[in-house]
Amino acid sequence: MKVLFYGQLADMIASELEVNSPAGCSVSQLRKRLAAEYPLAEQTLRSKRARTCVGDQLVNDDHVLSALDTVEFLPPVSGG
Amino acid sequence: MSIVARLEESRLRPEQELAALLEQARQDGAVVSFVGVARPTSKTGASVDQLVLDHHPTLTLQSLQEVAVSAAEHFDVTHVRVVHRCGKVPSGEPIVFAGAASAHRRAAFDAADYLMDRLKTDAVFWKREIGEAGSEWIEPTDADYSDRDRWG
Repeated sequence: MKVLFYGQLADMIASELEVNSPAGCSVSQLRKRLAAEYPLAEQTLRSKRARTCVGDQLVNDDHVLSALDTVEFLPPVSGG
Repeated sequence: MSIVARLEESRLRPEQELAALLEQARQDGAVVSFVGVARPTSKTGASVDQLVLDHHPTLTLQSLQEVAVSAAEHFDVTHVRVVHRCGKVPSGEPIVFAGAASAHRRAAFDAADYLMDRLKTDAVFWKREIGEAGSEWIEPTDADYSDRDRWG
């Protein structure tokens, strides 16, 4: 699946990654795997204010991903 | 009632936004506007050359629209206008315009205040300051979250 990162996560990981994930992988499992592979990004990935989107919709941690999904990890946002 | 929520990729012109809002509000008694400006110094006092606002291709504009609609629903206002910069903003240049019009002043003041509190924590941008200290990501402070939460 394609995984996109924004803000400081893009700085710490990449803007885009292609990830081979097992069938039935949840957002939580993907986040855990990314945190293990990119320890510098762990704190931001696990922030309670970070969000995850699939198809421009916010999803929660137990959302099950498919190989065709594009998953987006959004660190805490800030406007103004 | 009108609601304007716009993402601006080039220089934001607050005077033009205020003029447009005043024109729309000719039947009203109050117009309140706020302009946020890129600061020339960071929290630590280091000089800042520019603020860079990264955005999401769809969620950013959606978030501006959601905040503007929510302000219109929460307060007795006739017009709401939110225009937010993205990209590179040199220090001293406007980042955001938030304005509201109403029959009487209180609703317009409250709506403008609400708009900014929501934008600070809910607008989908990722900000970094670039300057003397290099590049530093800026996240909302605890005070920003408290300000947002006071609206319930």
